[in-house]
Amino acid sequence: MDPCVVHVDMDAFFASVEQRLVPALRGRPVAVGSGCVASASYEARASGVRAGMPLGEARRLCPSLVVRPGSYGIYRCFAERVWELCREVAPAVETHLDDAYLDLAGTERLYGDPRGPVEALRVRVRGTTGLTVTAGIGPNRMIARLAGKTAKPDGLALVHPEQVEAFLIDRPAADVPGVGPKTAARLAGFGIRTVRDLRALSRAELARLFGRAGEALYDRARGQDTRPVSAREIPKTISRETTFHRETTDPAEIRGMLHYLVERAMKAVRALGLAARVVALRIRYADFKVDEGRTRPAMPTDLEGPVFDAALALLGRLHARRVALRLVGVTLSGFSGSGAEQTSLLEPTEDRRARLADALDELRGRFGFSAVTAGRSIDLLGRLRQDANGYVLRTPCLTK
Amino acid sequence: MAVEEMSEAVSVRADFSGGVITPRAFRWNGRSYRVTAVNARWEDREGAHASYHLSVQAGGDTFFLSFSAGDMLWRLDRVILPG
Repeated sequence: MDPCVVHVDMDAFFASVEQRLVPALRGRPVAVGSGCVASASYEARASGVRAGMPLGEARRLCPSLVVRPGSYGIYRCFAERVWELCREVAPAVETHLDDAYLDLAGTERLYGDPRGPVEALRVRVRGTTGLTVTAGIGPNRMIARLAGKTAKPDGLALVHPEQVEAFLIDRPAADVPGVGPKTAARLAGFGIRTVRDLRALSRAELARLFGRAGEALYDRARGQDTRPVSAREIPKTISRETTFHRETTDPAEIRGMLHYLVERAMKAVRALGLAARVVALRIRYADFKVDEGRTRPAMPTDLEGPVFDAALALLGRLHARRVALRLVGVTLSGFSGSGAEQTSLLEPTEDRRARLADALDELRGRFGFSAVTAGRSIDLLGRLRQDANGYVLRTPCLTK
Repeated sequence: MAVEEMSEAVSVRADFSGGVITPRAFRWNGRSYRVTAVNARWEDREGAHASYHLSVQAGGDTFFLSFSAGDMLWRLDRVILPG
């Protein structure tokens, strides 16, 4: 059974959806975001606008830029439809915010050349949603993703196993998964800029420099990536963060928002059957200074209470300046299976809390997140608009 | 571009065929609008009932309509006036 992975990537996803929804935006430079660019249309990219760029800078680069604040509920619906179409093609589909991996291993007799069904998928996505996707096909997810990058936008590229060496060898080292900006800068300091350069380092040398991640780099520099396509994605972190509609010093509003973000994050944790070991908090002041910290609850947990207590303690430590806050965010990590590492039976109180959490999740799943407003999240009532899916945040940050 | 968000019940004349909803006209604030194009369709399945959403053109303006399978009502959710 030959491995065959497809990477399906939505082209300029949020901006493209906005252009589908409103014909007057088609062909115009569009950015989605509040504070910074979350997504830029290709017309905007032609002027140098990029995701992550502050909006002020984007507007200077592109004075005719149309900025939309974002309709994340609508984007979710479009993404879910695309993932449904992907599931009609592949036995296993791993979905992320705006891209997915499809595992076509075992479909050789059904499809033969994978380009046929993948191109048909692209056509169906366009016909059904009006959006374009780019697909890369390769023997593993790394090569599939890199193949897709060569064909963007609205393209299809295939790298056969025997082509991997030639395809990879002169690519930038920064293209290798696991090489982020800091690692790339560190490698560049050693004169390592390409995959060919990276191969000059032995496995032991990379492990000394980067630990276990270094060993993965050694394999990936040789085109090897054994990470499976997982139909149930287990993220490394689950984050929820937002900017306040107005900078605030109000302790009730800050605590209320923190509690709400913890609720949203923990719902996602429970939905994946996980428990979190590490809680991190990030705050940004009105003068853009950022403070971050992390801590561990007493044991891995899938309940709001211990996580909120931990986050609140962090907030007390970090928010030490008499300056208003612009942003608050919570990140959970260090996941285990929610039942896997319990070393003691739940105390009766904890058992009641767990049952309450399950009941709330079920209610919210049926009637929308806003069906129940609990705990300190109540402090946001009257301050923030709500729809069925919860408070309408200024900049909802989703799981990476 | 002027964007107005709302959630107003409106009356809509629509075709339901081939598994697809196609609005033909709607009435809002005492005025009738003829739908000249459907820009996009999407379905929202969060919550107890599905809701079906459309972006449509009526003249030069864009309207977001939705039909809830829960209460069987049409709503006007957004009006966009290009400007």
